[in-house]
Amino acid sequence: MSAHHNTDSIQHLYEGDQSKLYSGVMAHHSDINSSESKTQIKKIWKVFWILLVITVVEVGMGMFFSHSISKAVINFLFLALTLLKAGYIVAIFMHLGDEFKGFIASVLIPLVLFVWFIIAFLADGFFWLRMNNSSPSREQIENVAHSTKK
Amino acid sequence: MSHSTVVTSAPKQNLWEGGRSPYNVSYGKIMMWFFLLSDALTFGALLISYGTTRFFSAVWPDPNEVFKAFPFMHGQNLPLLFVSLMTFILIMSSVTMVLAVHAGHYNDKKSVAKWLLWTIIGGICFLACQAWEWTHLHGEIGGLWGTFTDPATPTSSFSHFFNKDIAGHVLSTQPGMAMQSTHNFFNYFFTITGFHGGHVTSGVVFNILILVNTVNGVYERRGHYEMIEKIGLYWHFVDLVWVFVFTCFYLL
Repeated sequence: MSAHHNTDSIQHLYEGDQSKLYSGVMAHHSDINSSESKTQIKKIWKVFWILLVITVVEVGMGMFFSHSISKAVINFLFLALTLLKAGYIVAIFMHLGDEFKGFIASVLIPLVLFVWFIIAFLADGFFWLRMNNSSPSREQIENVAHSTKK
Repeated sequence: MSHSTVVTSAPKQNLWEGGRSPYNVSYGKIMMWFFLLSDALTFGALLISYGTTRFFSAVWPDPNEVFKAFPFMHGQNLPLLFVSLMTFILIMSSVTMVLAVHAGHYNDKKSVAKWLLWTIIGGICFLACQAWEWTHLHGEIGGLWGTFTDPATPTSSFSHFFNKDIAGHVLSTQPGMAMQSTHNFFNYFFTITGFHGGHVTSGVVFNILILVNTVNGVYERRGHYEMIEKIGLYWHFVDLVWVFVFTCFYLL
């Protein structure tokens, strides 16, 4: 399944020079032309095509639909596609998907802070938007934009 | 090959009692992951403050209007095309990097060197594109950071960055506010793409170092190519950040 975890007993190698550990691991893979290797390379290229298609879709949406679809809907789609791309890069290219669950959790759990950051800072931005009396609200701008279009 | 088949020779002992790595990851790789985590928080802070500023601004420059130039296609309206090329180059260099890591798993020195070389070329192409874009914007706005601060700036020098349907009203009634947004937009743009570009630059330097080590047989003698994996993690992270920068600046 994973390219860089071995299946043998390796405990003794953790004592002292850990690099020996990896020479043991690598010994499992001797032939880059083996079918196992080829399957992995195929998977890498498959992810490349997925990333490329997602990017092309995003750019297409940005060019042709950014003003015809509701801003909230298109932004939601952009963010969803971005997270999908990020997921592929982290899981496949950075091999995080091949690590132990505990390690995946220790990398990903601190990122949950971002949920709070985004909520807190958007709330702050909203406050300042309202505080600034000289600025028209976003709805006012959109209303004017709509009425001038008609 | 799955984790459940790991055979332990010693009598059953607690994973966390020491003497072994519970996650089966070497120290260096764990530290690279946690460095990247802290770097993600730094980039996150920059992008979220950008988002906050943008959110409290009544109007904001339209990326389709700001980024529509392409080298050698002067005066043509090609929104997002150049940045798509940059994104493609960076994704491509991520693929060549992961292929170098893969070759390292198989101790294939020649393939590691080949794919690292392509990764370096991709990185340099990306930096060249960014240099062109910065130069182009520098020419268009007459500076990098700190532009659009003079109250006497005529509206015509920034109005073309906005979508007229949405911002036309503000541009005619409160041009100062539109100017402030333009100022903020470019300050954030140069800070964030500059910080990312700095990461790409150091990534290219690291890649050159490990290419030299590979060719000199340092990793072959060491018996493993773990260093390629660690620098690979850094390089993929740079690509990962670009995915978010691309969304925040060019799409949203």
